Amino acid sequence: MDWHARIRAALSSSASAAAPDEDVIEELAQHALAMYERTRADGLTADEAEARVAAQIARWKVDVPSLRHKVRRAAPIEPPPATSSSLFISLAQDLRYALRLIWRQPRFALLVILTMAIGIGATATLFSVTSGVLLKPLPWSNAERVVVLRETRGGSAPRFGSFSNTAYLAWREHTSTIDEIAAWTPQTFTLTGVGEPERIRMTAGTASVFRVLGVHPLLGSLFGDADETSPVVVLSEGLWRERFGRDPSVLGRAIQLDGVARTIIGVTPDAVAYPDRLSRAWVPMRVPLPNGNMLSMFEAVARLRPGMTAEQAATEGTARGTAAADTGMTTMAIFGMNGPVAVSARPLGEALTADVRRPLIVLLAAVALLLAIATSNIASLQLARATTRRRELAIRAALGATSGRVIRQLVVEGLWLGAAGAVAGFMVAWVLHRLARGVLPADFPRVHDITLDIRVVLFTLLSSAVVSLMFGLWPALRLRRLNLVESLADDGASPSGIGTRSAIARSRLLIIGAQVAIACVLLVGASLLGRSFIQMLHADRGFNPSQVLSTAIPMPGPSYNPQRRIATVHAIVERLGAMPGVRHVGFTSEAPLTPGGSTSSLTLPPLDGAGPRVVQASPRMVTPGYFHALGLAVVAGRALENSDTLTSQPVAVVNETFVRRYLGDRPLGVRIPMGVWGGGLQEEATIVGVVQDIRYVGSTVTSLPEMYFSTTQIPLGMRSTIATLLVRGDGDPSALASSVRQAIREADNTLGPSAIMTLEDRLLSTSLARPRLYAVLLTCFAVVALLVTGVGLFGVLSYTVAQRTRELGLRAALGARRRDLVALVLRQGMGVALGGVAAGLLTSLWATRYVATLLYGVSASDWFTYIAVPIVLLLVAAVACLVPARRAARLDPLRALRS
Amino acid sequence: MGMDNLARELKRGSTELLILALLEDRDRHGYEIARLIEERSENAISFHAASLYPTLYRMEHRDLIEGRWVEKPGQRRRRYYRLTPAGRKALASQRNVWDTFFRGLNRVARIRHA
Repeated sequence: MDWHARIRAALSSSASAAAPDEDVIEELAQHALAMYERTRADGLTADEAEARVAAQIARWKVDVPSLRHKVRRAAPIEPPPATSSSLFISLAQDLRYALRLIWRQPRFALLVILTMAIGIGATATLFSVTSGVLLKPLPWSNAERVVVLRETRGGSAPRFGSFSNTAYLAWREHTSTIDEIAAWTPQTFTLTGVGEPERIRMTAGTASVFRVLGVHPLLGSLFGDADETSPVVVLSEGLWRERFGRDPSVLGRAIQLDGVARTIIGVTPDAVAYPDRLSRAWVPMRVPLPNGNMLSMFEAVARLRPGMTAEQAATEGTARGTAAADTGMTTMAIFGMNGPVAVSARPLGEALTADVRRPLIVLLAAVALLLAIATSNIASLQLARATTRRRELAIRAALGATSGRVIRQLVVEGLWLGAAGAVAGFMVAWVLHRLARGVLPADFPRVHDITLDIRVVLFTLLSSAVVSLMFGLWPALRLRRLNLVESLADDGASPSGIGTRSAIARSRLLIIGAQVAIACVLLVGASLLGRSFIQMLHADRGFNPSQVLSTAIPMPGPSYNPQRRIATVHAIVERLGAMPGVRHVGFTSEAPLTPGGSTSSLTLPPLDGAGPRVVQASPRMVTPGYFHALGLAVVAGRALENSDTLTSQPVAVVNETFVRRYLGDRPLGVRIPMGVWGGGLQEEATIVGVVQDIRYVGSTVTSLPEMYFSTTQIPLGMRSTIATLLVRGDGDPSALASSVRQAIREADNTLGPSAIMTLEDRLLSTSLARPRLYAVLLTCFAVVALLVTGVGLFGVLSYTVAQRTRELGLRAALGARRRDLVALVLRQGMGVALGGVAAGLLTSLWATRYVATLLYGVSASDWFTYIAVPIVLLLVAAVACLVPARRAARLDPLRALRS
Repeated sequence: MGMDNLARELKRGSTELLILALLEDRDRHGYEIARLIEERSENAISFHAASLYPTLYRMEHRDLIEGRWVEKPGQRRRRYYRLTPAGRKALASQRNVWDTFFRGLNRVARIRHA
């Protein structure tokens, strides 16, 4: 029984009103059918059931006038008159009209504003970082005249420091291109005498540093040339605040640095922190006079005379350095070469930010691409909206509005949304900006200069203006070509509108193609940086950082003398060694992940008939368990053992660099003096083993020669006031933290260990901090880009399927199978995606040159990336295509044709 | 207001209340609503399905309920109705009114209601 036809026939014959909508008839037909089936199920005959339904239909017939959906229409918004007396009035009318239209579609407006807020917020934040770090004038008053000096010998850079005392002293006496030269070197001290003992970084500098940079004290005074050997200290503003609560009466008070009392004479503002915000105080330093073969290395800066260039200074520096005394073998040790001296001078700003310039520009470009994707999604939305507004605009044109007036109105709408987007974007930027300072690694340069200043506000305004013009003007220009008669004749059902519609659909597909390409570039970049970061994480560092806990234990004087330190260290090792879950325990006098540390010079026995050599190496005092705890591989001989005692023959272990540089191919059995470090001890130690170098992955730092002595063989005790504890456990190391704390407390309950961290976390917060930040940021951008693109593709395809309902219905009616309809839609969507991916990959091949220098262990043309990224993109595209495609497949041909 | 008028208002009000109440826990289609009213009142409310659809459309127009076509796999396309937030509010306030009304009746005439 075709209830549908029957009901239509019955209700159309009503005299009082027109037949109800198809929609209503279908609903009633469903009702009739359900009723019939139910009645039959209740046991009535077909005839009886039909009679009941017929009775129901008869009752509906009475009600025909009220059987219709009353369409709720919002009150029409009066468009502004086509002609106005003045430009100002008509503009005001346009503004009001646009605002009311936007108000009526809050969901559209919200989507646009949110998209803009994310795009503009992220871009403005990165712009503020880039502007603060790269563009703003440096905070030092002489900054534009300050140059950073570097010295090379025969083209080879020094192993540590940048400038030698011989070149420094020679130049200091005779300067013509520079006003003054200054030296500084980073140092680490244990601060005591005020609150908890803490290991802090400081800078030792000549008095001329302040004059070269143009630093003035916030409080008190700075040290002068006469103070270079005085026990004084100048605090940074941050340290003054944290330790003294900004108390102005600190001047004249003494603090203990490594057990030596120093008088506070001044405070420097953090805004002029140099070299970075990690340095918490200044202590004076005197550049040592040349002493035999000894070279002293440090960092150097100079202030150019007015009108002089960095190149001129470099030429003069080279000449002065060449004239200085030759230092022979030490030069070999430090520079690895004893060739001609060359001095280079680089402007301070460039030198400070050289490491972050490339990554910042790459990130800024990435976020700008993200903004482009977000903007194009808005433009695409606007285009879709414009299609449905053709009639409105055509009517306005028919009523006499010029096309300029119509375009202006669309632009005004765009500007309203743009203004709202700019405000929202600035708020997002404000939040991100507050987060940024915490997220940036501690050694990131110029963090104090990153502010949301007028440049950022202007940037936000400008970018939102561009964005809103783009998404207001583009649809407007597209619609300008609109055919009045066609648009008005188009009742939404005739195919005459298809031309305009498919042109807009084509524009939208083009936009999507570009979005896919951009997302592809961002994904390639994110994958490269991400894989590079993972490579760094798992790189061979010479030691094994997993399952190791570490903590630094300060043991400051005078309550701890060198003997007590050793006794304490041994007591902790003994207690921890007996605890369950602990496999190896070791102590070291120098933090294992810090390159360099203290260096000593020592005289080595002759090699191949040459005379005795004076060389530099970094001595480390460790407990025998150190190598096992760190997982440092022994490449020759043996590690230090518990059987090495005060009564047995003194032994030492050196690293590969030591061997390579000083000992050649027979390192074992060579005797090296211990005295240089042991404090007057005249004994020699025999080298019994060679361990792998610690590699400072992802850093330009190279390994230095190192020599390890055992704490069990040093009767004089430990001079370093801080010892680093390493504990290797079974399984999760952080579970051991409480055992470690307990063992330290039991050994000596006055000790205050610093934070107990795994070595992996320590790596992540230091040398891996920047690579991780870059990888995480780029990945965030890429994921957002991927989502925005996926949503965009989904939107456009849904739109085209909806538009092609009649066409698809016709195809189905003419025998197209569901599979064919799905294929039709998929072909359209995936075609665009494939085109975008191809363009994106080609662009990536060119663009990744700019990230090549940031990569570690991954090439810019990494095959994994170039295979994985297209797969991910096409998968996302396929998911985005599937829903509209299924909708097309489910189309009922009859209904589609009726619609 | 004549008696006829009052009866009509009562009937209309009660029909709306019944529909709102039936849609409270889930979406239903028209036939289901009609059948449930008859079943649950054990045919005491001989509800004329004829007036059901005009009532539904009127309530839809007043934004109390919302009808939409739903396709479920293996089923015919059906128009399902659901409560809008305004409908939910109206249901609560109508319940209140009827409750007060019945309590008043009960106090005066000792009629009990469930």
